[in-house]
Amino acid sequence: MAEQPLLRVENLVTRFKSVERGKWISAVDNVSITLGRGEMVGLVGESGCGKSTLGRSIVGLERPQSGRVLLDGVDLSTLQGAELRKRRRAIQYVFQDPYASLNDRQSIGEAITEALIIGGISGKDEQRRRVHTLLDQVGLPSTLSERYPRELSGGQRQRVAIARSLAVEPRVLICDEPVSALDLSIRAQVMNLFLELHQDLGVACLFIAHDLALVRQATTRTYVMYLGRIIEEASSAELYARPSHPYSQALLGSIPSADPRIEATRSPPDIHGDIPSPTNPPSGCRFRTRCPHATDICAADVPPTVSLSPTHLASCVMAETLYERGPQVSQPDMPHHGSGNHPVLVR
Amino acid sequence: MRALQDFIGRVRELPRASIVAIGLFVVLGVLAPYIAPHDPNAQDLLSAHTGMSWEHWLGADHLGRDTLSRLIVSARTSLVGMCLVLMIALSVGVTIGTIAGYKRGWVEEVLMRLVDVGLSMPSLIVALAVIGIFGTGYWNMILALALAWWPGSARISRAVAVGIMNRPHVEALRVLGASPSRIYFRHLLPGTIGAVLVYATADAGAVALSIATLSFLGLGIQPPTPEWGQMLVDALPYLESVPMQVILPGLVLTGVVIGFNLLGESIALNRVPAPLARRVLKARRLAAAGWGKVGR
Amino acid sequence: MIGDLLQVNNLSVDLFTPRTALRPVDGVSYSVNSGETLAIVGESGSGKTVLNFAPLGLMPTGVVADLHGSILFDGVELIGMPESRLRAIRGGSIGTIFQDPMSALNPAIRVGRQIAEVGELHLGLTARQAEARALDLLKLVRMSDPESRIKQYPHELSGGLRQRAMIAIAIAGEPKLLVADEPTTALDVTVQAQIIALLKDIQKRLSMAIVLITHDMGVVASTASKVVVMYAGRMAEYGTAEQVLLSPRHPYTSGLIAALPVPEDPPGSQFRGLRGSPPTLGAPVPGCSFAPRCPLVLDICGKITPRMTAGAGASSTACHSVNGIRLQEVTHG
Repeated sequence: MAEQPLLRVENLVTRFKSVERGKWISAVDNVSITLGRGEMVGLVGESGCGKSTLGRSIVGLERPQSGRVLLDGVDLSTLQGAELRKRRRAIQYVFQDPYASLNDRQSIGEAITEALIIGGISGKDEQRRRVHTLLDQVGLPSTLSERYPRELSGGQRQRVAIARSLAVEPRVLICDEPVSALDLSIRAQVMNLFLELHQDLGVACLFIAHDLALVRQATTRTYVMYLGRIIEEASSAELYARPSHPYSQALLGSIPSADPRIEATRSPPDIHGDIPSPTNPPSGCRFRTRCPHATDICAADVPPTVSLSPTHLASCVMAETLYERGPQVSQPDMPHHGSGNHPVLVR
Repeated sequence: MRALQDFIGRVRELPRASIVAIGLFVVLGVLAPYIAPHDPNAQDLLSAHTGMSWEHWLGADHLGRDTLSRLIVSARTSLVGMCLVLMIALSVGVTIGTIAGYKRGWVEEVLMRLVDVGLSMPSLIVALAVIGIFGTGYWNMILALALAWWPGSARISRAVAVGIMNRPHVEALRVLGASPSRIYFRHLLPGTIGAVLVYATADAGAVALSIATLSFLGLGIQPPTPEWGQMLVDALPYLESVPMQVILPGLVLTGVVIGFNLLGESIALNRVPAPLARRVLKARRLAAAGWGKVGR
Repeated sequence: MIGDLLQVNNLSVDLFTPRTALRPVDGVSYSVNSGETLAIVGESGSGKTVLNFAPLGLMPTGVVADLHGSILFDGVELIGMPESRLRAIRGGSIGTIFQDPMSALNPAIRVGRQIAEVGELHLGLTARQAEARALDLLKLVRMSDPESRIKQYPHELSGGLRQRAMIAIAIAGEPKLLVADEPTTALDVTVQAQIIALLKDIQKRLSMAIVLITHDMGVVASTASKVVVMYAGRMAEYGTAEQVLLSPRHPYTSGLIAALPVPEDPPGSQFRGLRGSPPTLGAPVPGCSFAPRCPLVLDICGKITPRMTAGAGASSTACHSVNGIRLQEVTHG
């Protein structure tokens, strides 16, 4: 892409002090990602991989040790104070827990109005108008602005949180597991809202999640993280069909399907052992202690990033071999909506 | 103000004995001049050392002053003194604690070490030292006690402040780009004050006791202003002949301190919810009976 | 079915708290036999947890539960059983696995001790015997390096290992029935698959019955032989896993299954789900509680509570529309 990406993260390192003396946990270890204008990108990984820390480091909730975050080409670490706050406002964050991300003491209207004030909207009439518009955009009736968070359901709260983020007119939304705390039947409502906002407002989204199926449908590109490093990136469809890193394969192989016939014949994924301690990650390739294909080379050096196609990269010595195996067939061709009851959907 | 509402909400859940003791203390303290039957300083040597009588319900002290009136007015002295000490100590403590909790890093380290130094010295020794240097007097006593008390509230404020800062809704404000002053004054401070006020109230008994102790030693409230500790020390020489005059102020002081301690305990201990009161259970069962036969 | 290990018949639970009265379980009936796994599926407010824990006396203090109906476990009636006898069953012939291993394990006691306690309490073993057995159990749940794990504290273990420890505690009393409340929800996907495989293996070895409470259809598909779908305290559907997952009859079940994203959905396409939100539990709702969200809603749905009706060779479901249509088919020959 000749055009400069909207958000570029370069070699970011964020460490935490460990409980054990003198040791550090490299939650984010030399990570580089990009997000183009209006792009929907996914970031998947399991607990402890650092995906949340990466998201938080980008918006300034964690302070990285080294590396750069560039917004529109401007390095945010060169800015300070009010100037930094103003620029970084273009990147907003949607939290996982809809119950904690809203202030119990403020009504919905007050919470959104505060966001508007921070964003520079001062007139009371203008504020009221915008609150109405924002609630409308997220599909909530404006009567809700008098209510308090405890009176709202999980799905409604999450939408209010999104409306609050939109109040400052962001160009990037970093969503940290935005639907995992919500009931299954209403996840679609919030996910479709993201799709809609993307379409109507051109907001770019970084979806941080562990639900691969969700990410595949919502995003065009996906990164996979393991123990602080990006180990694969590809277009979402291709990652799902041709994972070329043993970890991605194990991840995909672990997703149970809702078809008992498939489940009856499925063998457990080819991954053994537990996640190594983050204070003492394995040398070379961090996944080697659990990898079924590990060899001596894997312990010696950090695996090279192999370019399997212009859009598909994987950090594994076996990447090409795994890629050559071609698309994995996971579901037989059987209709899976049973008796024809198709419930009308969403919103 | 939300902080006040929060406080009142918590008060509702307190043990009855505590509310009665503290309530009585506050009421007497506020209304003292109107309730006290006699002028607490009016001496009537003819009535000196009398026991309970119609004239003097609880007797009179060695100078013929009415004990009941003195006890009541002492409540006011204690109450005012206690409030002043706490107000000053809390202002200083909350400010330092919230700044430490907000800034974290080296600012927090320095401030908390200062707090540690303060906490390592027994409050009474600190107060005695200050009074020793600057002399006795009402304001000297108040300031001395405030100096002894602020580290405790600083430590609590810091803990509460850190908790608030870590909550997602405050993090959301940071991501929105809220200025530090907005976060500090509109969210951190109000939230912290609410929580600290509750802990402070529990501590109040100890402050009242310290005032009494200093007065007992002659270093606190000076005569003729009545005060329980002072009454105790005045009546001590006559312990064998008129024990009531020693027992009464002691009893009242004990009651106040126990009241506050009970309060402190109920806050500190997470009480297991009490089993359902029989009446409530009956009402609920009645409501359920109205739901009719269960569904299939 | 008569003769099954666990037979729940028309169970209703009323919960009374200082503030309110509610009915989280309203007329539920199902059964499980040894070697079978029954999955109870529902979202928040479905009553799926209360359904299993209230009969065992595991409600929080300050809450009173009134149970109606019958629960026969191994021929013995659980409803009305005094606490002393329930205590003997709890942890013994009925083992439980809770959702969050970190809060379910005692952080101040070593893992080995917690497992051994069960043996001492329910099997009358001595401390030494119980500790030896704890080691065996850890091996059974395939915990890595069991000799050192046995001396560790819960916080020293990862999520997956803690869950294995909890499973070891649950089976230490040699239960005939295992009640597992969302055993994999707090775990990563890769660990989830391992735990599910472990549960199936243990079930075979001990020929236990398992009641698995979950909201994840994938977990249901990989473990269950029978499924109960709960909505707002009432049963929506009940049948074998194949019937319910492949040919769901109740619109709620269809909605839940359809909500799962599949590879056939092109990226950027709309997600499927249901409108509205799951209800909050309270007094029982007249008529069908799913009516406000149902795509097949009829007038009758607001007035008369639908009853569970069996379909020929298919699952039983409580839905006027679905059962009504069948009735029509029958009358029209």
